[in-house]
Amino acid sequence: MALVQALGLSKTFGSVRALDAVSFAIDEGITGLLGSNGAGKSTSLRLFLGLLDPDSGTAEVLGQDARSSPEVRARVGYAPEHDCLPRNVSAAEFLAYMARISGLPRTAARLRASDVLRHVGLFEERYRPMETYSTGMKQRVKLAQALVHDPVLAFLDEPTAGLDPLGRREMLELIRRVGGEFGISIVISTHLMGDVERACDAVVVLDAGRLLRTGPVSVFTEETETLEVELLEGTEAVVAGLRRRGLEPALHGRRLTLEGVSGEDYDTLRDVIVEAGALLYRLAPARHSLADVFTGEHDDERATEAAP
Amino acid sequence: MSSRPAEVFDLGYHGYDGERVGRWARRDAIWRDGIRISLGLGRGVGAKVAPWLLLALALVPMVVLVVVAAFVGPATDPDDFELPSYGDYYEWAMVPLALFAAVVAPLLICPDRRDRVLSLYAARPITPLDYVGARWAAFATVALGAAWAPEIVLFAWNVLDAEHPGSFLRESWDVVPRFLAAGALVAGVLTTLALLVASFATRRAYASVAMLAVIFIGEAVGGIAEENFSGGAADAVSLVGLLQALTDAVHWLFGDELDRPVSGGIALLWLLGLSLVLAAWLVRRTNRLVRG
Repeated sequence: MALVQALGLSKTFGSVRALDAVSFAIDEGITGLLGSNGAGKSTSLRLFLGLLDPDSGTAEVLGQDARSSPEVRARVGYAPEHDCLPRNVSAAEFLAYMARISGLPRTAARLRASDVLRHVGLFEERYRPMETYSTGMKQRVKLAQALVHDPVLAFLDEPTAGLDPLGRREMLELIRRVGGEFGISIVISTHLMGDVERACDAVVVLDAGRLLRTGPVSVFTEETETLEVELLEGTEAVVAGLRRRGLEPALHGRRLTLEGVSGEDYDTLRDVIVEAGALLYRLAPARHSLADVFTGEHDDERATEAAP
Repeated sequence: MSSRPAEVFDLGYHGYDGERVGRWARRDAIWRDGIRISLGLGRGVGAKVAPWLLLALALVPMVVLVVVAAFVGPATDPDDFELPSYGDYYEWAMVPLALFAAVVAPLLICPDRRDRVLSLYAARPITPLDYVGARWAAFATVALGAAWAPEIVLFAWNVLDAEHPGSFLRESWDVVPRFLAAGALVAGVLTTLALLVASFATRRAYASVAMLAVIFIGEAVGGIAEENFSGGAADAVSLVGLLQALTDAVHWLFGDELDRPVSGGIALLWLLGLSLVLAAWLVRRTNRLVRG
């Protein structure tokens, strides 16, 4: 059974159609809800949490509609995009309180609060008022409060927002740990394709309230038949050698690409590089990126619209 | 060197497989948090000053009067020194209790709004009604304690001071439900109004000023209507002075005879009706705030 399921889900705010008959399912693991601003990501999360009423369709979490069954939220975590932490309270006190209103007894709530804060790297700072925390620490507390009651599933809305590159990498690693070691399924809402590529197992791509694509991230980023070669010296000699042997490399500065390569072409390339005395820096099959998927979809749409 | 054998601790993640408590326990958590906020417990000294000062203002005068009665009273002529009646003391304590509601009650809602914590409550297995109901109960509990404590001190002194405490209790037991009801009325009206006003502000100071404005402008309008006009309309307008209406209703509950344009019974009905309307408005408002 899918953890999250949208069936014909539509939601309109005034004249803006935030979601337009969207259907998708999310299974266990880490899933990215990817889309640009206004794509309908946050609206989807709020519908799944039962905080909004859909115009039509159903939004189910763990097989239940959270509007009619608020109890299901005892097994669901949520970290919003915006600041949501009280200033003059310590993280330990706040998390214990959040655990209690999620249904944990008092002693268990305190223990879980300390334990989860240790896992997100805030054990030493847990008794400090949260107004003294940096942006990265606050993002970690937001993640911790979503996990403190040991949910089956947690929704994280833009968890890397406002973080510097190092903080972003650490947060994504933490999310991978939560999804792997902790066994808690995660749905990340983000507009950053890099976050999805680095942290997620599956992706649901939304665009202007409609479902664009959905499936495992590996399908979108699988290897292609294009070979990428980067040389520090002797690029021209290698290109000439390859052309002499019937291959047609494309040159992009120091980097050259070979389309539709087979196993024999690898041997040919090796021989040419040796003969030319070139310095090989990198040789790898090219991969698709989610950016290609996005760009491709939009190109397809534009082509369809332009067609008579 | 220690002879204790080495231990290996598993610091990996452990899920929670223990008991999960029900909805009442979750409401209880919000209620306890509200009590701690109302009294500044677990906060710095600054957070304790206002609530404890105002609570002391409501209680200490009665304690002082009882102590004076205990040490000085027997030596003086009863006509020179008399303890206040139950209704009279509520009349005096109304101002510190109203100030307490204006200054402290916003702390239960405004910071949650300002820091946008309400979105986290919304994602928990509680409803907006659970949240606001528990917050209301928390502040009402503290306000009830503040309203009842002086009356309990007075009643206890009256029992102890009586020549025959047993017969005094038999004859005067009915004052207990009266002062309990009067305290519940005062605490209920002030709590509901203060939380509703607070739900419209993100800053505590604005909420406090707004609450004081509602009370004192109402008192002024009611007073002008009562002093300068007569007739049914003027009597109705005089009820917007909530502290005066509360005083009238409290005296009516104690059976005191007062020469007022509107009877205490009518004031009581008006306050109960008003509280219901304000409570419904507060629930509706909170529902909007929590669900965003």
